[in-house]
Amino acid sequence: MAASSGQTIAQKILARAAGRDTVAPGEYVNCVPDHVVTQEMVWPVHKRNLEKIGATKFARPEKAIIVIDHTPAAATGSPHAATHHMLRKLTREFGVENFYGPNTGLRHLVLVERGFARPGSLIFSDEGNIASIGAVGALNIPMSTDVLAPLLKDQHWVCVPKTVRIELVGSLPFGVTGRDLVQAIIRDHEQAGTFLQCCVEYGGPALAGLSLDDRQAILASTFHTGSDTAIMDVDQRALEYVEERANGRPYEVVRSDPDADYAAVLTYDLSQLTPMVTVPPTQSGAVDVAQVAGRRIDHAAIGSCANNRLEDLRAAAAILRGRRIAPHVTMYISPGSQNVYAAAAREGLLEVFAEAGATVLSPGCNTCWGYLGVLSGDDVSITTHQFNYQGRNGSTEAAVHLASPYTVAASAVAGEITDPRPLLAGRI
Amino acid sequence: MNQASTSSAARTLRGRVWKFGDQVCGDDGIIEFAAVRDGFGKPFDVESLRQMCFRKLRPEFPSEVRPGDIVVGGANFAHHNHVEVSVALKASGISAVLVESCESGFIRRAMSQGLPVLLVPGITRVVEDGDVISVTPATGKIELADGRVIDSPPFSPQMVQIWEAGGLVNALAAEFAASRS
Repeated sequence: MAASSGQTIAQKILARAAGRDTVAPGEYVNCVPDHVVTQEMVWPVHKRNLEKIGATKFARPEKAIIVIDHTPAAATGSPHAATHHMLRKLTREFGVENFYGPNTGLRHLVLVERGFARPGSLIFSDEGNIASIGAVGALNIPMSTDVLAPLLKDQHWVCVPKTVRIELVGSLPFGVTGRDLVQAIIRDHEQAGTFLQCCVEYGGPALAGLSLDDRQAILASTFHTGSDTAIMDVDQRALEYVEERANGRPYEVVRSDPDADYAAVLTYDLSQLTPMVTVPPTQSGAVDVAQVAGRRIDHAAIGSCANNRLEDLRAAAAILRGRRIAPHVTMYISPGSQNVYAAAAREGLLEVFAEAGATVLSPGCNTCWGYLGVLSGDDVSITTHQFNYQGRNGSTEAAVHLASPYTVAASAVAGEITDPRPLLAGRI
Repeated sequence: MNQASTSSAARTLRGRVWKFGDQVCGDDGIIEFAAVRDGFGKPFDVESLRQMCFRKLRPEFPSEVRPGDIVVGGANFAHHNHVEVSVALKASGISAVLVESCESGFIRRAMSQGLPVLLVPGITRVVEDGDVISVTPATGKIELADGRVIDSPPFSPQMVQIWEAGGLVNALAAEFAASRS
């Protein structure tokens, strides 16, 4: 790459964190993160590693954010209660003030709702789906068990990603959401490997018409294209969201240079989209809902870091209001955070769900990874989850379809996979 | 296990190539998915991972692989890989993995286990199964069987330190022990 070419958002954020003017795609650089966020499930491993290393403190405890989101309300016999106990003790000993216990919500939501992720922030995390914070212009770099290294040293190595630019044009048709868009993008690019070692940078005129919640749904699922991370241009709508939550903390909106070096520039016309269903067991199996309509379901779930925000619950409620789910269907709804849960209560959405026969669970990952509301035998499910591989939700014979909150709620009412648009008519 | 290196000497690996194609899945190709599913949250069953390494694609691999051998893989190599994939390769004695392309997560997980994964576009066109080649992770230099040298992005000094220490936990332990003494 020519040293003179412009820098993308991801390059600029990483260059700042590496103490450099510029960085080049493919380069390995050491970066200092603004925050390091982890969930509870891997902490028994992290704890063992801390003991092997002989470390008794973090380099910058104020940068650490530890969230219990996978296992809210550990049940009798569960090993997770011991993890909760260990983390309460460890965070006290290590001086980690940003420790969030059961039912606070998912890391993805905690980061933006509480203003940790702001424009230009670099967040080291333990999950690719946390690219949802790209909606406020923050960059997620997902790590593995090595996320312990930046906690101990306040820096770690990063491979500078290439950037693929996706221009969004047009507007979403009736009954179609950002979730349908990202399922189409995954269908088009996962198997080809177009986005390997890339940051997917979204922008374009259609962005203005997308809510912050829809933007986070797109970003949270973009990881399934095989990309390293994803981010979005920050517009006035995003800035207003940030300003309400920054609480005086600084931030700097970062934009790509006009001559930035993109690995590819793609355009998606939102007006051409239809409701999509991703058919198991691969992420690339997205089809128009018409192709699988009529398939009987046993289970439906709204939740996961893709679709557990207030707009998602409003979308489900728009379908469910005044209706009952089919008698043979079990339906679970997991709000993404305490804030979402409380807002849903204030708007009367929880009442809609209860009267429809759905079960509202406490804020957390819950059904998405098979912790609660699990499947059995050859159950057929349709959910807003992140994964559809066999065995993800408790049974290797079960079939998990992925779709938008509209399509999931409509299918729960119909008792079979169905196009949500007729059930939405006159309601939004 | 080696201690973290404090010298800048660039160590070169030399080994025999096992060559694989494009789109080889990590969890359900290099190893078998049951190992991930059944092992979740437990310490690694290293011997079981070693015995299943590549047996789906090259049944002779577990018995014929020799310490120091090098894996060369095609496009999107080891896609969908949990850390067990890196553990299986390391336990098999593989000293380095050179790929046309792969997820960054594979490079990261392998490095934490002390296994260097290098991005070398075009490698499958110039290397054959059984070739003996040399790899220098600190410089990114790869010397082919016929003496030609090709380049890949060099690892950062911190990554070289992790590799030389045999993995991230060893590297951090050495560093913290040094800071206490």
